[in-house]
Amino acid sequence: MKKNKLYIAAALALLAIASCKPTLDEYTPSAGSLNFSKYVAIGNSLTAGYADGGLYLEGQKVAYPNLIAEQLKQVDGSEFKSPFFSEDQANGSGYITLTALVNGQPVTAQVTDKLAYRSASPKLLTKYTDPINNLGVPGMRMDMAFAAGVGSQAGNMYFERLLPDADAMKTYFAYSTTQNHTFFSFALGNNDALGWATNGGVEDGPTSTLTSTALFTSLLGNYVTTLTAGGQKGVLATIPDVTATPYFTTVTRAALLAAVNATNPPTPVTNIYIATKSGPRAATDQDYFVLPFSSTGLLGKPNAAQIPYGLHPLNPVEDKYVLDVSETATVVQRIKEYNAAIKAAANSKGLALADVHEFLNNVKGGVRINGLAVSAKYITGNAFSLDGIHLTPIGNALMANIFISAINSKYGSKIPQVDVAKYRGVKLPDTVTK
Amino acid sequence: MKKLLFSILCASPSLLFAQGSQVNLQSPKAVGMGGAGSAYFLDESSIFYSPGALAKMDHNAISVAGNAVMYKSAFQEVGSTVVYHTRNQISTPFSLFAAFGPKNSWWKAGIGVYTPYGGAVDWGKDWVGKFSLVSLSLRAIYIQPTLSFKLTENFSVGGGFVYNVGTVDLENSVPVFYPDGHAGLATLKGTGTGTGYNVGIHYNLEDDFAISVSYRSKVVTKLKNGDANFDVPESVASNFPAGNKFSAELPLPSTFAAGVAFPISEKLKMALDATIINYDIYKALDFDYKENTPVLQDTHSPKKYDKAGSVKAGLEYIASERLQLRIGGGVIATPVQQSAYVYPETPDNTRYLISGGFTIKPSPKFDVTGSFAYQRIVARQSTNVESHLSGTYATNIFAPGIGVSYKW
Repeated sequence: MKKNKLYIAAALALLAIASCKPTLDEYTPSAGSLNFSKYVAIGNSLTAGYADGGLYLEGQKVAYPNLIAEQLKQVDGSEFKSPFFSEDQANGSGYITLTALVNGQPVTAQVTDKLAYRSASPKLLTKYTDPINNLGVPGMRMDMAFAAGVGSQAGNMYFERLLPDADAMKTYFAYSTTQNHTFFSFALGNNDALGWATNGGVEDGPTSTLTSTALFTSLLGNYVTTLTAGGQKGVLATIPDVTATPYFTTVTRAALLAAVNATNPPTPVTNIYIATKSGPRAATDQDYFVLPFSSTGLLGKPNAAQIPYGLHPLNPVEDKYVLDVSETATVVQRIKEYNAAIKAAANSKGLALADVHEFLNNVKGGVRINGLAVSAKYITGNAFSLDGIHLTPIGNALMANIFISAINSKYGSKIPQVDVAKYRGVKLPDTVTK
Repeated sequence: MKKLLFSILCASPSLLFAQGSQVNLQSPKAVGMGGAGSAYFLDESSIFYSPGALAKMDHNAISVAGNAVMYKSAFQEVGSTVVYHTRNQISTPFSLFAAFGPKNSWWKAGIGVYTPYGGAVDWGKDWVGKFSLVSLSLRAIYIQPTLSFKLTENFSVGGGFVYNVGTVDLENSVPVFYPDGHAGLATLKGTGTGTGYNVGIHYNLEDDFAISVSYRSKVVTKLKNGDANFDVPESVASNFPAGNKFSAELPLPSTFAAGVAFPISEKLKMALDATIINYDIYKALDFDYKENTPVLQDTHSPKKYDKAGSVKAGLEYIASERLQLRIGGGVIATPVQQSAYVYPETPDNTRYLISGGFTIKPSPKFDVTGSFAYQRIVARQSTNVESHLSGTYATNIFAPGIGVSYKW
């Protein structure tokens, strides 16, 4: 009996010791002077959580504004609502998944189950008209934000989804500036340049025009003035360089030549010919082929005159598949001008600036974050999703931290950082396709 | 013999050679005095602490001792409120010492099997630094046959050959993601051997005032053909060849130790020890894979350790023939002088140690010793040079121990 007591005492003593963990309390969160009782996120696909070529529930949940809002809960942020697809329609618009890597080359497939379409033609999504905080609309542009009808059935299905039928002609600007926000993040404008760039510098409709700097600056000024009319604070994001995304950097001239020569042509192929606005010419390493070109299967395909596609000046790679060197210069310059306008607007209104442009330029060369290697490489870089433009959950977590750092440094708040290691990169299939 | 060795290995403690400082738990008597006592104790544990003292034993003895080391680290990333803790795990370093030879002779022989560096760390697969490290433990065992000789009545020398068997077991997350979103895992396991020596001299002025000087050489343990296994999605498995092997070199530093012992009164004795540990041989940890792929390259982690050392002091109160009580403490300098080289497996800094212990002798031939040591590693902020993991570490170590010895 006495022995038993001794054992129990010894066990209790060990338990007491085992619970003596070291304590750390190095960071006390604080909102500072900011009011997060209603944070709204204005922006495009990146804000909405679009990834892998579609908007779906898993991506929506890890959209960077949602990750920011989760951290804001530690500084009295209130609940942050997003227009989540229901579990039954979790795959939303549909998206692409990686089904195999064949000799390192990705093979993707479109997800077609659990979609959220209420109409196939025109394509319309199940409505979500409850109050929300994540106002991100895939495809939204600065110029379109001020155009009536974009939210109608003939317009943008993602915006149409959010508007009650009676408000179909409401502009995105009007919609997003009347939410009684106390704090905002604003990340609009990528598509004003990117729409044109992803289309190889070819304008063939309102989604691929290149918005002029003057119009951009004026609309931005209007937007920011309205958003801060009640003295609200917020954060503006700069626009990333298109050449920092795998959409433009994965399909290279060298890779195309290697693919063609791997088929053992009679004579080795040394040039890829591209159509440019000043006529066809041989491509250089300074011309960017867009990511979807690799899956078109067009390269080398003979036309009616038996001239192989892209391998002869008489049948060049179409302009829309190539952002050539002069188009690249145009879009890089335009984004630089947009960003100058964004920085000026942030300065004049005393807003924080999340320099996404600078950050993604750093990621381009590869960075190491808490032991995790992140780069702009397609699939293996972990930052960009399968569409080569939108972010993975890891990319979103990094983005959230850029915004949080910007807010903290501008306003002296202490919003805690997101733990990037909790999030994933591109999902890789756990099977081998022979 | 092979089987015996294997079973000893399995039971052996997790040893983290990379751990900034030694946790000398070889003898619970010395542990009770803060790790001091190399000049004070004339018993079989002198095989480790002071081989020169062994010849002064007037009897033969065998002792075994074990400890339950609880190593608890915490980490908080800069700008985050989340605090990560290492998992609860108890490693059990032990020692076995036997001394034998003719009684009251000019020589004594002995053998020691012990574990001179202590610790193991498991941060789990969910912490912020998982791509840097999930867990690391090194299991090593020193086997040391020893001879000691009295040159004069007061002056003796001794030395032993050290054979080390070490195993490394390291895990870290690999940033390739399964369809359910979880990351891959690399597991490196290897066994290696190394050799060294331990020599010392012991001098006592009178019966009670003694000086000990000893030197334990470095033991460079070479791991060859360790197993490198990668748990990664099948579609990228070709980047991580199955059955891959690795080699690595683990340098265990040499130590120069000096101790004095003197009486304060009839019943109260004091011991002071100081060590210089030549950790500066630990420049980098390199893993060399047998098969490399564009994704799987050899790794090089700069460690840039510097020399370190410790000072320790302890008191023993001889309450009676049958009961002795001990108390001690010490300060251990860190070999990680630059904070950029603090790694999650070595969240090291200056350590403070306090300890206490007792010995009960139910009979003149048999005694039982208990000890308890607590080490606090001072909290330290670091931005690691390799992973850029940035945050603050704090660590507490608890080590209760018990030993029995029998003499004849």
